[in-house]
Amino acid sequence: MNILFPWLFLVVILILAACVFLLPLSRRRPGKINEHESLKPPLFSEEFSEELSLPASLSPHPFQHPPEPELPHFYGIDRMVLMARDPHWLFAYWEISATKQEEFTNNYGPEAWSSTHPVLRVYDITGIEFNGNNALGYTDIHVSESTDNWYVQVGKPDRTFCIDLGRMFPDGRFITLLRSNTVTTPRASLSDRLDEEWMWIEGLYRTIGRFQFGTSSPMIIEELALRAGALPLGISSPGFNKDKHN
Amino acid sequence: MPKGYLSLVLHAHLPYVRHPEHENFLEEKWLYEAITETYIPLIHVFERLIEDNVKFRLTLTLSPTLISMFTDPLLQERYVRHLEKLIELAGKEEGRTYGSPFHETALLYKKQFHEAMSTFCGRYNRNLVSAFKKFQDEGRLEVITCAATHGYLPLMTLYPEAIRGQVKTAVDLHTRHLGRPPEGIWLPECAYAPGIDEILKECGLKFFFTDSHGVLYASHRPRFGIFAPIYCPSGVAAFGRDVESSKQVWSTQEGYPGDFDYREFYRDIGYDLDLDYIGPYIHPDGIRIHTGIKYYKITGKTDLSQKQPYNPRQADEKAALHAGNFMFNRQHQIYYLSNLMDRPPIIVAPYDAELFGHWWFEGPKWLEYLIRKIAFDQDVIETVTPSDYLRRFSCNQVATPCSSSWGNKGYHEVWLCGSNDWIYRHLHMAAGMMISLANQHSNAGGLYRRALNQAARELLLAQSSDWAFIMSTGTMVEYAVKRTKTHLLNFFQLQKEIQGNCINEGHLKDLEFRNNIFPDIDYNWYAKTTMDLPKAASL
Repeated sequence: MNILFPWLFLVVILILAACVFLLPLSRRRPGKINEHESLKPPLFSEEFSEELSLPASLSPHPFQHPPEPELPHFYGIDRMVLMARDPHWLFAYWEISATKQEEFTNNYGPEAWSSTHPVLRVYDITGIEFNGNNALGYTDIHVSESTDNWYVQVGKPDRTFCIDLGRMFPDGRFITLLRSNTVTTPRASLSDRLDEEWMWIEGLYRTIGRFQFGTSSPMIIEELALRAGALPLGISSPGFNKDKHN
Repeated sequence: MPKGYLSLVLHAHLPYVRHPEHENFLEEKWLYEAITETYIPLIHVFERLIEDNVKFRLTLTLSPTLISMFTDPLLQERYVRHLEKLIELAGKEEGRTYGSPFHETALLYKKQFHEAMSTFCGRYNRNLVSAFKKFQDEGRLEVITCAATHGYLPLMTLYPEAIRGQVKTAVDLHTRHLGRPPEGIWLPECAYAPGIDEILKECGLKFFFTDSHGVLYASHRPRFGIFAPIYCPSGVAAFGRDVESSKQVWSTQEGYPGDFDYREFYRDIGYDLDLDYIGPYIHPDGIRIHTGIKYYKITGKTDLSQKQPYNPRQADEKAALHAGNFMFNRQHQIYYLSNLMDRPPIIVAPYDAELFGHWWFEGPKWLEYLIRKIAFDQDVIETVTPSDYLRRFSCNQVATPCSSSWGNKGYHEVWLCGSNDWIYRHLHMAAGMMISLANQHSNAGGLYRRALNQAARELLLAQSSDWAFIMSTGTMVEYAVKRTKTHLLNFFQLQKEIQGNCINEGHLKDLEFRNNIFPDIDYNWYAKTTMDLPKAASL
């Protein structure tokens, strides 16, 4: 009996260890995972190799990993990036470096940061070369200190925008810290520009037989006449570069 | 001469889901299911059409991630093992269903799996790209490319070099495997923003597709709407998707795939049968998955438990009926349009290839009936590819298409919304760093070249639009988040090592082993371009 006891004890321990080790295997269900509880240990190799080794302790959660490396939230640079999501909405994200913040404090006094609050100034700069002062109009959005991204409802298809992130003093004075790239919202309707331009691409394709397009359109014939012998692509209209930027 | 043209476009793509580190990886099954249920059935359709000398032209995208998986020996080996298990299961099913109304369907699956095996191993030596290349070389398919990892290009326009990396890598891989450079590209998610065409042109591509409003809402109103392509100012042609023909196939309400006689997708024996029986054919951890064996028809708007047995012959008749209906509708569309136009209209009908066979079980049959009917029963419509069309009609109107996608609501919201917007601050950071790396190390050799190329691979893999899409749909989110983070972290690690002149070769080797996509990638494709995208372009 005395000899059996330690053996029994060992067997019990082994069974316990096996249970702890096997149970999570049968429980893992990657199928319908609630997206809000993501970031749980996924089905990756690291996991597999750990399954092979017995858990060091008999803790009830042998699958708790050391925290996985995470992406940095900030990269220590100054940037303000603007994207056009659809004809009506923009999305901006940003980060401000400590240097930028210091610079601001140096220029406006040690109290300046805490006495101001962050503001997004959304400029409509459709059709102009923006220099900071010549926007067609702007809207201010007051955001909280911790905010680092924002969806902006502009509600204006086919317009060009740019956003400044700045600090606003209680007296309304606005100091720009970051300026975004410019974006143009997509169109949401048919263009009312009805003037037509036609292009005949030669060389790109070996044209088979005669030009098929109906000769009923004299404009096209003119176009073609103008383009014959132009650039290899036949693109030579002075209108192109202008169009590109509209 | 026909009165109008139909351009059928199938977009075949799956994200890169190769996991050498784990024997049974759930997401790898996406590939295996799609091979059995979509790609091989489509190959059979094309084989039969060619054998019967049916004249047709069809456009097929093979995304670079899909080509990479098709040609990967590990995945090929694993697919064969997967298929062997399926064949074993189908054999058991034959016995189990004997005398029941499911028996005929069981035999159908058994036959399908056996044929898949002989096609995969016997005829194409495990490399399905060679099948599609054969159809291309026989003049039936126009195979086009897609962005390297299906990156969502309109949300990259701040970094034109990153877009170029996606496109150049794709064109390079495509040319190596298909034996000729692609003439056109399927922009991932049909997503375009002004300026992307400039990069396509630089990479030798001549056309792409947009959703209907991408062409309709172009900078200048297109005279022929979406029934003729427009040229971007760069000279690259844009073809707009036809609304009517899309709806007939795609719509969950009115679309053909919802017909009551067609096979029900959600009643799979992987979920229905006892664990004791089905256990060996689902995930070893007991996670139930789709096996592909499904015995019920859609039946009606009833509960899943009320579904009736599937009748293959009835479903087949329906597929023929629907093909006839589709053709009839296109003919009428074309009659109507040709009165308004002074050249034959082109109707562009693009679909996700995986819709056919995987989701819509009878889809490949429908496609085959449609192509046969068009070839033999009428002379109003002719099937063409965009290249065919541009050769015949090389003069087209010039206008810049509208920034758009074929996702929900038509713009970029699916890939830029509350559940996935966090990825862009990292993806943009990495893209910017990759460009700097390429500029600083223009002629790297040895270890540096390897590390720089691997960095480019990790960036590309992180950029897959699939991850953002999965995050926005809310299923399998964990996997998508993990993939995005892992590749980004790998990239940042490599970037740090390259910058600090302390490349860890062991770690590099491990990454090269795990993420071995694009063996011929050249990081120099990320070097600064002199081209600036139009300032006013939507980002």
